[in-house]
Amino acid sequence: MEIILAIIVLILSLILAGVSFIAYKKSHLRPALYLLVAFILLAVKKMVELLQLTEWIKRDLGWAISGLEIIFLVLFVLALWRR
Amino acid sequence: MERRNEILKTIMQKPGITFRQLARELGIGIGDLQYHLRKLEKDGVIFSKKLGKRRYIFPQGFEEEAQKLLIAISTESRRKILLLLMEGPMSQGEIASLLKLSQPTVSYHMGELKKLGIVKAEEKGRSVIYSLEYDPETIARIIKEYRPSIWESLADSLIDLLTGIGDEE
Repeated sequence: MEIILAIIVLILSLILAGVSFIAYKKSHLRPALYLLVAFILLAVKKMVELLQLTEWIKRDLGWAISGLEIIFLVLFVLALWRR
Repeated sequence: MERRNEILKTIMQKPGITFRQLARELGIGIGDLQYHLRKLEKDGVIFSKKLGKRRYIFPQGFEEEAQKLLIAISTESRRKILLLLMEGPMSQGEIASLLKLSQPTVSYHMGELKKLGIVKAEEKGRSVIYSLEYDPETIARIIKEYRPSIWESLADSLIDLLTGIGDEE
């Protein structure tokens, strides 16, 4: 069940990254670029978690996952920052 | 050959016409039209650009204009703004309230349309009045045929969301 949920999150992040990419291509708005990177990082984070769940990665990557979470949130704040 | 000249003449008269419109207007079969358009494109007399689900056909020498037009109509809000301006000049506030968009969103789109040379702005007292600076018939023709994909519609909503941030209304 956990794996299915992780896959759903992964797919949704990639969809949102795609939408942000189209929005950036159309508008060249910097916040759209921040969102694009943020959603790609979210997908990477979920991918790492998924690989740990399936025991492909045996090492503890908690610090890397937390790091990706922080970067994701910072990029999100930057995208929403009032200009 | 006569048929091909007729197709070329129509494209010259109506830059930005789509394949479907062209077929409908000239009453030509799809296969026949495809053949002539391929020949014309190969000869470098016309070119086409895809936007959304449609392919727009332009005469050669229209490259810069085509690019401008297709950028201008590439988001839903801009298409609505352009259609509204066809009814007459309007201020930013009027556009925002009629389209139920935030002022920063309208301001962003008007800035982009001004840069492209599709609209012009004139100061009247304390407000700025916007009007079309491009042939309304060509704009209407291109907008009428435009069919965005679901991804483009989502991206348009995201653009409006991002440009609307900071609106205090």
